[in-house]
Amino acid sequence: MSAETGTLAPVDEQITLKDLHVDPYPIYKRLRAEAPVLRVKAAGRTFLTKAADTKFVKDNPAIFSSNDPNTPMKPAFQAHTLMRKDGAEHLSERMAMAPALLPKTIQEVWQPLYRQYAAEYLDRLPRGEIVDLHKQLSAPIAARILAHILGIPEATDEEMIFWSQALIDGAGNFGWEPGPFAVSDHANLEMNALLGKAVERVRAVPDHSALSVMVNAENPIPMSQIVANIKIAIGGGINEPRDALSTIVFGLLTEPEQLEEVRRTGKWGQAFEEGVRWVAPIQASSRLVTEDVEIRGCHIPRGDTVMTIQASANHDEDLYDHPERYDVFRTRNPHQAFGSGPHHCAGTHVARRTVGAVMTEMLFERFPGMTLPDPSVVQWRGFGFRGPINLPVILN
Amino acid sequence: MKITYITADGTETVVEAREGDSVMQVAIANDIDGIIGECGGSMMCATCHCYVDDAWAEKTGPQNDGESDLLDCAASETKPTSRLSCQIKMRPELDGLVVHLPETQL
Repeated sequence: MSAETGTLAPVDEQITLKDLHVDPYPIYKRLRAEAPVLRVKAAGRTFLTKAADTKFVKDNPAIFSSNDPNTPMKPAFQAHTLMRKDGAEHLSERMAMAPALLPKTIQEVWQPLYRQYAAEYLDRLPRGEIVDLHKQLSAPIAARILAHILGIPEATDEEMIFWSQALIDGAGNFGWEPGPFAVSDHANLEMNALLGKAVERVRAVPDHSALSVMVNAENPIPMSQIVANIKIAIGGGINEPRDALSTIVFGLLTEPEQLEEVRRTGKWGQAFEEGVRWVAPIQASSRLVTEDVEIRGCHIPRGDTVMTIQASANHDEDLYDHPERYDVFRTRNPHQAFGSGPHHCAGTHVARRTVGAVMTEMLFERFPGMTLPDPSVVQWRGFGFRGPINLPVILN
Repeated sequence: MKITYITADGTETVVEAREGDSVMQVAIANDIDGIIGECGGSMMCATCHCYVDDAWAEKTGPQNDGESDLLDCAASETKPTSRLSCQIKMRPELDGLVVHLPETQL
């Protein structure tokens, strides 16, 4: 895949962002077969839909930079964040937060706390009637544990969920409409106010939280970046575990034989991995091309923006049989749901050790007779981020 | 040159490697069970943890900068011979290298 004089990638003018938002998988299936490198006009990006190509891009940050100035992320977060930086700068900001996300810390501090909240949140769910598990459990439990991990436990679930959505909507506001930025500005005001107080608290009483580790570090990163990091984690730390949990529960409830086998064998971790492969909570990422490069015979010029579609990579027929099916017992599952390369998801260990190792098992243990009366009413949405938007179950 | 991978259950696989390849890359290219290498060698995921065989530990050398922090993230117990296999690059004197793989990487 070296830079040579190939032809430019073909252009598509048919695919709309709405098509991708509603049901992208049949489109990606066609693209993998017919046009795995494709300039999609509606997105203004070159789509890469094969697993080898998405991985190649993520693993070569010198050619495919995260430092893409043309994104609405900056106004949404009111900062140039580590998500959009490369090299040493990205690394130092990322590592500043890392101690709070180490498996040791997770195992000793966050997992026990998560278990306690999981029990509490399961307690309050009504039995014997339709309950939307996505809104009643997946979202609030994700918000609660994140508030603690970040060091802002005084934020309510509702606040966390609102901020997260406001940041995501702002960051995804590629039409640069004023509305979403007005909402994210408001969220930023609220977060800044709360963070101001939280910083004083962790200075006085240090703990294991991300805020505390960053604030109390020997050589702390600038306060503006500490605040930006916390906001990135709020924006990126609720919808993903929320959507992962709802997706896995949907998968298991619609594949009762697999559920039975998972119960028997305790392969909850595998059920989790398959869920995030099947419908990756983060479906696509952008990278700015810094030098002319060729992928599958298509010339991609410097200055172009490629979009790695990990949703599609995770369904690549080169790697998976029946990729469209939720199948916990696949022999191999080298999915890219957590990305690859220097920006590999920093929340991976937390997700695996909370949603993966605790929640699904607790949920099915608590409600062994849980049913999904009508799977067809579950709606799936999202192009950049994807998951069910409702999950009406009956708990028993 | 060759690398021998020995999984936690004792399965031995000998594969061919080229100079400059990392021990993680060679494992992935040969479908070795027990190495995931999810972040592609960026020292971000700690899913390519291996134990260098005692006979080879001196030749592979010590952990690189930042490697021990990541090894703290490894899912299985770490030992003095623990390395991230993405950080061991093959060179002629490592021909015949033997690495042991942990129980789990996740």
